[in-house]
Amino acid sequence: MSAFLAGLRFEARILLRERAVWLALVALVAAILFALFSGAARVEAQKALVAAARGEEAQRLEGLRKTLAKLEKGETADDPPPYRDPRNAAYMGGGPAARVAALALSPLALAAVGQSDLFPPVVKVTTGSKDGFLYADEIENPANLMSGSADLAFVVVFVYPLVILALAFNLLAGEREQGTLSMTLASARRPGAALAGKFAARILAPIGVTLLATAVGVGAFAGASVLASGAFAALTSIILIYGLFWAALASAVDGLGKSSAFNALTLICAFVLVTMLAPAGINSLAGYAHPAPSRLDMVLAARAASTDADKERDAALARYVDEHPGEKRDRAREGTLRRLATQEAAFQRVESVIAAHDAQLARQRALADRLGFLSPALLTYRALAGVAGASETRYRGFLDSIAVFHVEWRDFFLSRAKAAAPMTQADYDSLPRFAERGETAAADIAAPLMGVAISTLLLSFLAMRGLRRVRP
Amino acid sequence: MSDFAIGPLSRTAPTPAHARIVRAVAAKEWTEMRRDRRLLALFVFTALLMLAALGFGAAENARLARERAAAAEADRALWMGQSAKNPHAAAHFGQYAFKPLSPLSLADPGVDPYVGSAVWLEAHKQNEAQFRPARDGGAAARLGGLSLAYILQTVAPLIVLLAGFAGFSGEREAGTLKQLLSLGARPRDLLAGKALALIGASAALLAPAVIGAALAVALLTDATKFSLADQFLRLGALVIGYAVYLSGFAFLALGVSALATSSRAALVALLAFWLVNSFLAPRLASDIARGLAPTPTAQEFRAGVAKDKARTFGHDETHPAFVAFRDETLKKYGVTNVKDLPVSFRGLSLRKDDENGYVIFDEHFGALQAAYDRQDALRGSAGFLFPLLALQPFSMAFAGSDSRAQFDFATAAEAHRRDIQNEVSDNIIHFQRDADYVAGPELWKRIAAFSYRAPTAGFALSGSGEAMAGLVGWLGLTVAFALFAIRRLKPL
Repeated sequence: MSAFLAGLRFEARILLRERAVWLALVALVAAILFALFSGAARVEAQKALVAAARGEEAQRLEGLRKTLAKLEKGETADDPPPYRDPRNAAYMGGGPAARVAALALSPLALAAVGQSDLFPPVVKVTTGSKDGFLYADEIENPANLMSGSADLAFVVVFVYPLVILALAFNLLAGEREQGTLSMTLASARRPGAALAGKFAARILAPIGVTLLATAVGVGAFAGASVLASGAFAALTSIILIYGLFWAALASAVDGLGKSSAFNALTLICAFVLVTMLAPAGINSLAGYAHPAPSRLDMVLAARAASTDADKERDAALARYVDEHPGEKRDRAREGTLRRLATQEAAFQRVESVIAAHDAQLARQRALADRLGFLSPALLTYRALAGVAGASETRYRGFLDSIAVFHVEWRDFFLSRAKAAAPMTQADYDSLPRFAERGETAAADIAAPLMGVAISTLLLSFLAMRGLRRVRP
Repeated sequence: MSDFAIGPLSRTAPTPAHARIVRAVAAKEWTEMRRDRRLLALFVFTALLMLAALGFGAAENARLARERAAAAEADRALWMGQSAKNPHAAAHFGQYAFKPLSPLSLADPGVDPYVGSAVWLEAHKQNEAQFRPARDGGAAARLGGLSLAYILQTVAPLIVLLAGFAGFSGEREAGTLKQLLSLGARPRDLLAGKALALIGASAALLAPAVIGAALAVALLTDATKFSLADQFLRLGALVIGYAVYLSGFAFLALGVSALATSSRAALVALLAFWLVNSFLAPRLASDIARGLAPTPTAQEFRAGVAKDKARTFGHDETHPAFVAFRDETLKKYGVTNVKDLPVSFRGLSLRKDDENGYVIFDEHFGALQAAYDRQDALRGSAGFLFPLLALQPFSMAFAGSDSRAQFDFATAAEAHRRDIQNEVSDNIIHFQRDADYVAGPELWKRIAAFSYRAPTAGFALSGSGEAMAGLVGWLGLTVAFALFAIRRLKPL
C-alpha cells in the first residue's frame, strides 16, 4: 500500500506543477458548470411552458363556464354555433375544453437535454384522433436541434474522456521515452503498486474534479437537497464508471509497450470510434434494418377513414330521407352525428396505424439497444438522459399515459355527445385529469451502466496484464 | 529520386528555383504519407466509411422519396374522392403538401430530420410542417447520423491534422529542419510544399466521396422534379467548400507544428482545436444564438396569431369586423339585405376573412423565419475561427437541406393553400344560393394538386454569403497564421 501511495503522491506532485494539466482541469470544470447553468435555464423555460399551458387551459375552461352560466340563466339572445357552445360535448372535448397533459420534470432534468427538445413537455389532449394532437411540435430552430446543446451529458460523453486520455495516455511510454521507467521500477519494493499509484494520480484528477464540479453545479443550480437523492447517486456512478472505462482503455493501450505517439493515435482513433462513429453507425444500421415507418400513413389513414365515414353517413342519411319524406331535419344534430362518426372512424384507423408503427419502431430500438453495447459513449448518453428524465423510454411512457388518458377523455365527452346530453357545470367540475403512469428511470440507467461496467472490467483486465509485463 | 536530392542546395550555390523546391518538398511529404501504413489505413477506413454513409444515405433517400410520392398520390385520390359537399367543407378537409427530398440530401441530410415533411393545407389556418423524423429516432441519432457530410466535417479534418501535426516539429526533432534551412530552402517554400502535399491528401480523401456522390446523384435524381445540371452545380460548390475547409486544416496543422516545442505539443493543441470545432463550437454557438435571439414558444406563437386573428371574424357573424364588412358590401352593391346581393355574401365574407388572415400569417411566419435567420447568422458569425460553423450552413444550403429551403417549401405550400381557398370562395360567391349548396368532383378536379419545384443553386448561393465569407476567412486566417508561424524557423 505504501508503494501505491508513494507513487500516487509523487505523480500528483508532478502533475500539480504542469500548467497544461491545470488548464485542462479548469476548462473541464468551467464546461461542467456552464452546462449545468444553461441546463437550469432550460428547465426553468420548460417549467414556464407547462405553467403557461396550464394557465391557458384554466382561462379557456373559465371562459366556457361563464358562457355556460349565461346560457343556463338565459342571458344570451341567440344560441352560439355548436363549435362555440359549451353545452355541446361533441365539440367541446375536441378543442375548446381540451386538457393539458404535462410531463413532470425530474429533479436532475438540468443534466441532459435527451429527447426533451424533440418532444413537447405538454400535449393538449382532445377527443379527436391522435394525429390531431400528439405530433404537435414545440417551435425550435431546426439548426439548433441538429447541433444539440452543450449540456452535462455532452461534456461527460465527449470532453471528460479526452481530459482523462490526455493525462493517462503515456504513463509507461512517457517514462520509457524519458528513461525514468527503470528508475521508477527499481526504486519501489512493489513496482506494480508504485505504477498503479502513479496511474491513479493521473486518472483521479479528472474524475475527482468532474464529480466535484458536478456536485457543486447540481447543488447550486438544482438545490442542495438533490445531492441526497438516488438520482444524483446514479449520476455520480455513471460519471465514475465512464471515466474508469476511458482510464482502463488508456492503460490497456499503454500496456502494449509502444511509443507515446502510438498511444495517442490509437486512443484518438478509439475516441472517434466509440463516441462518434459507433453511435452514428448503430443509428444508421438500425434504421436500415427496421426503417421508421412514415407518419404520413397515419394522416392518410385518418383522412381516408373520415371520407369513408362521410360517405357512409351520406348514404344512410339519403336512405333515411327517402324513407321519411317530409320529416323536418335537425341539421345541428346531423352535423354532430357526422362529426362523431368521422371522429370514431379516424380514431380506429389511426390507432391501428400507430400500433403498427410502434411495433416497427420497437424492433428498430431493440436492435439499436443491442448494438448500443458496442459504444460505451452511447450507453452513457442513454443513462444520463435516463437520470435527467429525458430518455426515449420516459417519453414513450409519457405517450402511453396519454393514450390511456385519451380513451378516458373520449369516453367522458363522447358518451354525453351520443346521448345528446348537454354539458353542465357539474360536468366541467369533473373533467378527467391526466396522470403520468409508471417510472422507468431505473431501467433506463441500470442496463447501460452495466454495459459500460463490463467493458471497463474487460479493459482493466487487459491493463493489468500490460502492467505485469513491465520490467525494470 | 526527387529533384530535391539531385540538386544540392547551399547558400553559396545559385539560388534554386523555388517552385522546384516546393515540388520536391511536396513529393517527399507525399511519399512519406504513402509509406505511413497507419495513415494509409486511416485513409482507406475513412474512404470506406464515406462510401457506406453514401450507401445508407442513398437507400434512405430512395425510401423517403417513395413514401412521399405514394403519400402525395394517395392524398390526391382522397381529395378527388370526396363526396359532394359544400366547397368550404372541402376546404376544411384540405390537402397535404409533401416536401420532395433534395437529391443531395443523401450526402448531407442537414435539418431534414428536424423539420416536418408534410403541411396540412386547411381553411383559415397556415399550419407548420408536421412529423419531424428525429422524433422517431433514438438516442444514437442525437449523437450524429452516419452521413457523408458528418464524416467529411468531423473525421476528415482529424485525418488532415494527424497527417500534418509533425510537418515542421517532426523535422525539427529529427534534425532535418536545420539542414533544409541551411541549404537555402526558404521557410515559405517548405510551407508551400508541405501544404501542397497535405492539400493533395485532402483531395485524395475527397475524391471517393465526390465520385460516389456524383454517381448517386446521376443515377437517383428524379429528372421530373430536379434538374440534373443544377444538382451537379450544387455538387461542384460543395466540393469547393469542403476543399477550402480541409485546406484550412492543413495550414493550421503546419502553423501549429512550426510554433510548437514538440510534435506532442502540436498534436495536443490541434486535437483540442478539433474537439472544439467539431463538438463544442456548434453546441455553444447554438446555445448563445438561442439566448441572444430567442424564438417564441409554440404557445406564444399560436397565441400571437390567435390574438391578431381575433381582429378578423372567421365564422363569427356578430363580430364588429363582420358587421362592418357586411355594411360595406351592401353599400357597394346598393342593396339593404344580403339576400338581395347578386352574389353569395357567405363566399365574399370567407374570401375577406382569408385575405385578412394572409396578412397575419405572413407577418407571424415571416417574423419566425427572421428569428431563425438571426440565430443562424449569430451561429455562423464565428465561422472564420471555427470553420464547421461556416461549413455546415454552406453544405446544407447546397445540399438543399437547410432551413431556407424548408421555408421556401413552406411558402410554396402556403401559396397553394391560398389558391385552394380563393378557388373555393370564388365558387361559393358565384354559385351558392342557399345553405344546401354542394359542389362535386368538377370542383375538386379543377383545384390542382400541390406541385413544387425546388429552388436552384442560385438560391443556395444567395443565402450563403456569410458562410462563404466564413470559409474564405478561415482559409485566409490559417494561411496567415502559418506564414506568421514559419517566421520562427531559422537555420541556426
